[in-house]
Amino acid sequence: MAPKLEVEDLNAWFGTKQVLKNINIKIEENAVTAIIGPSGCGKTTFLRCLNRMHEINPDARVSGKVLFNGLNIYGNGVDPVMIRKKIGMVFQKPNPFPMMSIYDNVVAGLKLNGVRDKKSLDAVVRRSLELVNLWDEVKDDLNKSGASLSGGQQQRLCIARALAVEPEVLLMDEPCSALDPISTAKIEVLIRKLAKTYTIVIVTHNMQQAARVSDYTAFFYLGELIEYGPTKQIFENPKHELTEKYITGKFG
Amino acid sequence: MSRIIDSGLEELSAVLYKMGELAYHTVLIAIRECVESRDSYNEIREISDTLILMADYVEDKAFELIARFQPVASDLRTIKSYMKIAYDFVRFGRYALDVSHANQKLGGIRNCDKWIISHVKDMGEKVLSMVRLSIDSLKSRDPQLAEKVAQIENEVDKMYFDFLDELIERVDTTIKCAVSSVLIIRYLERIADHSAYVCESIIYITTGKRVILR
Repeated sequence: MAPKLEVEDLNAWFGTKQVLKNINIKIEENAVTAIIGPSGCGKTTFLRCLNRMHEINPDARVSGKVLFNGLNIYGNGVDPVMIRKKIGMVFQKPNPFPMMSIYDNVVAGLKLNGVRDKKSLDAVVRRSLELVNLWDEVKDDLNKSGASLSGGQQQRLCIARALAVEPEVLLMDEPCSALDPISTAKIEVLIRKLAKTYTIVIVTHNMQQAARVSDYTAFFYLGELIEYGPTKQIFENPKHELTEKYITGKFG
Repeated sequence: MSRIIDSGLEELSAVLYKMGELAYHTVLIAIRECVESRDSYNEIREISDTLILMADYVEDKAFELIARFQPVASDLRTIKSYMKIAYDFVRFGRYALDVSHANQKLGGIRNCDKWIISHVKDMGEKVLSMVRLSIDSLKSRDPQLAEKVAQIENEVDKMYFDFLDELIERVDTTIKCAVSSVLIIRYLERIADHSAYVCESIIYITTGKRVILR
């Protein structure tokens, strides 16, 4: 199977500070890839480079290629909005639009793209909320504010919002760091379920979470990709001493 | 800065070192009992029971460390291997007890032909050196030292089969001596195998590689 994303010689800067150095990695389709590493190692920047969100920062610069289904997303004429639709993002802190209902939160992206047909929107809301295991909990309260939900529910709503525009890849930036253990467990179950249909890349500080949910793990350190491989190998028998030290807490 | 898990791992190591020395002692006195006029059965039984209790402790402690710290990489390999090594040490004790039991039932081999006594003594020394090597490899966590067990293991295997071949040729050996010696060298050969298992575990802990030294 061809990789869903192929990153070739990727470098990224904030101003003059280089935060990613010559990253090469192939992200497998319909699998969960976890990105781990200490704070400031470039995990989140890497994630944001995968759907051209890095360049939103005026100081930011990227070089290299990110091939999505073989297309270089940094190629001439490629529409970053189209890329962000196909490669969705879920953030650390649940961020539903607070003034919008649950229903409107889910279809916000579609409405922005001009979809108005109520029947279609209804179907998308139900499908997306069912996908994130939230439908049964909110089906009678679709008009309530998204902000009225618990933190875990809000995060699942945000995932539903990302799924509503039918992406192929889902990028998750520490999606559970603001959640309690029960909500975290629900999101982790959801990640495994979604991996059957979507390609997922998750940045996490929680190494046990990476070990639980991912098929592949990449370890970043000081902007470099130190080691990448099947999660079983990384957590049982890492090849690189830095990986060993980081995952066993022997750093410093 | 040491980690919280380190004190648990150190405690496990200390228990295993003690088990190793007890296991060595029990194999030593079982071998001596074969050729000398002494009865060590009760002492060996007591040590064998102690080793079982200590292995249970290692397993409980290992489970606690897994539950509390979710160890990975070399920590995880160490804990998994420590449980296995504890079992190997229990087997040392058990086979020593089996040797002693055979001695009790059949009177040992001290009154058998000289070639039998000599062969069992030689094989006993080799096996003891393997047990010592396995304990030293554990203490030093030295994979190169652990690898050395493979050669002695081959020698022990050869001695085992050579003995059986010779015994079949020697029609004058009494049934008592034949049964007694065969049982003893069989148990010694099994102890040698478990010494090799311990050394394989040391290599796995330190390098992550799974090797077979037999």
